[in-house]
Amino acid sequence: MSNETIDQPREISMKPSSREKIQTVTSASFTRLVLEAEGPIAVEFMSYGCAHCRAIEPVLEQVAEIVKTQEKIFRVNIAIEQELAGSYQIQGTPSLIMFLDGNEVGRVEGPSPTVSSVLTAVTQPFESGAEDN
Amino acid sequence: MTTIQKPTKPILLFNDECTVCRYIGHWVQRSAQSESGETSILVQPIGDDPGRLRSLNPDLDIWDAYETIHVLMPDGSMKLGGEAVAETLRNLPNTKWFAWSFAATILGFRPFQVMLNVAYAILADVRPLFGCESCGKPKVLRLIQGVTKWARNLFARVPHKSPSPHFSLSSAARRRPLAASVEPLPQSSHS
Repeated sequence: MSNETIDQPREISMKPSSREKIQTVTSASFTRLVLEAEGPIAVEFMSYGCAHCRAIEPVLEQVAEIVKTQEKIFRVNIAIEQELAGSYQIQGTPSLIMFLDGNEVGRVEGPSPTVSSVLTAVTQPFESGAEDN
Repeated sequence: MTTIQKPTKPILLFNDECTVCRYIGHWVQRSAQSESGETSILVQPIGDDPGRLRSLNPDLDIWDAYETIHVLMPDGSMKLGGEAVAETLRNLPNTKWFAWSFAATILGFRPFQVMLNVAYAILADVRPLFGCESCGKPKVLRLIQGVTKWARNLFARVPHKSPSPHFSLSSAARRRPLAASVEPLPQSSHS
């Protein structure tokens, strides 16, 4: 098998997939977008081959839309970013880690794929942090 | 703008994290090669990069690719599920002699294609029983678990507390080594 099977490339403008409303961060952009950013941020460590990640994806997008004025949500593909996943001791997917001003303030592993469950997961750590302050 | 790689042969995408899918994918790959080394259908793992998949077909979503078997046709269309299986069989030298039957119609009805669709749906659902950690749970098992949990809560009055069932151990996402003969997906260039 070789490139003989690939015809002339053609260029077209493409819209992002409807399911890609959540920005993917890599190890190169993680520090800038998550650790050095101000305010509440939730990061989903996921893998495209994970059935539970597939189930939670539309829910997480709804939640991202609900909280977009207060909080950012990113995703990390652990199949590619294995070192980053290892540094946060990710045991499985999906795992949500919440950061406030670059510091981890909470994490949830395998939330139920419902809006209420995911919304609680990504907002509660910040509410308890605010109460502590 | 993204460069679209237009294939001149059908491309079968398979879930390389699923044992059953890998086995079938490699079988198709071996079967598709003629003695001269020509191949009638390309076999490629889905991989982890949504952009690379969209370079093959702008309408191809990586989540959908993991959900259902896809065959990308040279004309830009896609065949899914049982239709994809039939298309694959039509392209294999050893199976194309009977694959015509899937297109046969009786009173506007394609009975063999319907049977193939049902067989694919069942196989896709029970894949986890054959070693696919990333495919979720078969519907029948989910049903049994749901009934069991409901009954336990009803009679014991104590909600069953268990580790989250919505969690895949990261070992499931660990890429198994690919066969050397599997071609990588064509590179896309984003500008």
